[in-house]
Amino acid sequence: MVGLAEVGIAATMGALATIAGAFEDAESDVGSQSNPNSQVQLAPQMMNFHRYFNKAISGEPVSYMMYGAIAGTIAWVFMTKFGLPFLAAVAIGVGINAAVHMIFATTAHLGRIASAAEFGHPIYLDVVLSHLGPIAGFGAIATFCIVSLAYIQWSILKHPFPMPLLAALWGVTVGAIGSSTGDVHYGAERLYQHYPFGCGVPVAAHGNITRKAETGIRNSMDSVFFCSKFGNPATGLCFGLIIFFSTWAGLFGPWGGVIAMALVTLAALIISNRIEKKARKEYGTYEDVSVDEICDPI
Amino acid sequence: MGLNARGFGISIPLLIAATIVAILGTWWLSIDKIIANLILVTFGSVLITIGVHYVPVGGAPAAMATATGVGTGTTQLAAGSGLTGLITAAAMSDKPFVVILWNGAIGAALMIAITMLVGNFIYIYGVGVPPCSAKVDKDPITGWDQDPYVTPGTEGHGIPTVSFVSGIFGGLLGGAGGGMVYFSLYKVLKMSPALAGITAMGIFYANSVLASYNIGGTIEGYHDPKFKRVHRAIISSIVFGIVAAIFTYAISYWVM
Repeated sequence: MVGLAEVGIAATMGALATIAGAFEDAESDVGSQSNPNSQVQLAPQMMNFHRYFNKAISGEPVSYMMYGAIAGTIAWVFMTKFGLPFLAAVAIGVGINAAVHMIFATTAHLGRIASAAEFGHPIYLDVVLSHLGPIAGFGAIATFCIVSLAYIQWSILKHPFPMPLLAALWGVTVGAIGSSTGDVHYGAERLYQHYPFGCGVPVAAHGNITRKAETGIRNSMDSVFFCSKFGNPATGLCFGLIIFFSTWAGLFGPWGGVIAMALVTLAALIISNRIEKKARKEYGTYEDVSVDEICDPI
Repeated sequence: MGLNARGFGISIPLLIAATIVAILGTWWLSIDKIIANLILVTFGSVLITIGVHYVPVGGAPAAMATATGVGTGTTQLAAGSGLTGLITAAAMSDKPFVVILWNGAIGAALMIAITMLVGNFIYIYGVGVPPCSAKVDKDPITGWDQDPYVTPGTEGHGIPTVSFVSGIFGGLLGGAGGGMVYFSLYKVLKMSPALAGITAMGIFYANSVLASYNIGGTIEGYHDPKFKRVHRAIISSIVFGIVAAIFTYAISYWVM
């Protein structure tokens, strides 16, 4: 039967995962990585010049797999070869990874913005310098939590995979979740904030991103401020729930775990169906709205 | 053939077949390694490839609420869920085959279900759109009208119930396939857990990419007309599975 200590481990892992998920999404918003980046990249071609940080190192899952693997491997080497305690080893791993992360972010941003030069788009060096800190910082917090998660799983729960592999695999998962959930809030809402709330972005409006801030011109740091109110915590909640339920269910034994996870999956289906019904009832249909009305809000 | 009949009719028999293969358990260790690995890796590959076709992904357009499905790439979401399944499957490494298989399957389904649920939270409360599909007039499961709820100029948004159910099947099939490949590498070929895990991850990614090319990057689930192309992906994944089985056997023979 499940003891209090085991549930505590699952809860700790869930909490670490929540922080990892939230900061992973914050990092992708401040660096404008992932799928909404296509709009930031498209904007100069539509003659919409902007001051967003525009990096797409790769898909988020793959880049976080790399960060998890780098930080996890370095921490592993310092723990096993030099006998450092975990916290010191992971600090070194995450620090080295942050440097790698900044190099990738700089080259990705400069390469992408330079490719817009044929449309006359300038490179704002102050954008590069001011955004690198938050990118590395948010990335480091997320990576630290992922490696810690892998460490708990490897050392306490005795998972057969070594710690760096677990960190890499959880990196893929957190990246997949970040780009599936929180980035929708950034892509569909924040990047199109001058459009009315309550509609998807028509294809004709692609590239016409919001460029003005409350004061002056918007940059990616403003975006993370907005997304931290809903998109980032939702991403954290998602990853936290997944880690918590998969760890918690595993404590019921082989078949008990399968049944517990199946019940959670079924509950997710029912909740999703209910909120879908509620949304349809409350928001109503689009019958009276023309495409022009949505595409030309100003 | 009805859409539900097609969706359920392919996935449920496959899951039953995978369970029967898994119930044989240690019998796979008693026959020739090459044959056991060939069958398990190839069948696992087919399961993964078909599973990816079930996962509703809208790619970059879905991230702007321009298309139905989860707002990320096919490969990435399938790999994210499948690798979660791989971790839950590997946690049961010393248990019977059928336990490994079902822990992998349900772990992947859990990941994708919670991701789709939170995705719907963001579509409904963050973007303000009701989940709907532009590919069908009525949701095959709930029977709810779709067209009036689609924002003009888009192909739908969010994850309607039919896509959600399809995604759960995708997770089950993908996770089961990953668990099967992991069992073959770890138990049949006697690889170390780490090597088996990395190799299973590689096989998972290769099959996800195969499926992703087949559906052109986006699919809404089993009700999507693109789902009809699944037979082409099955042939490709069988070919890939055979090649992967030979290579993994060679790795275990020479390296270990």
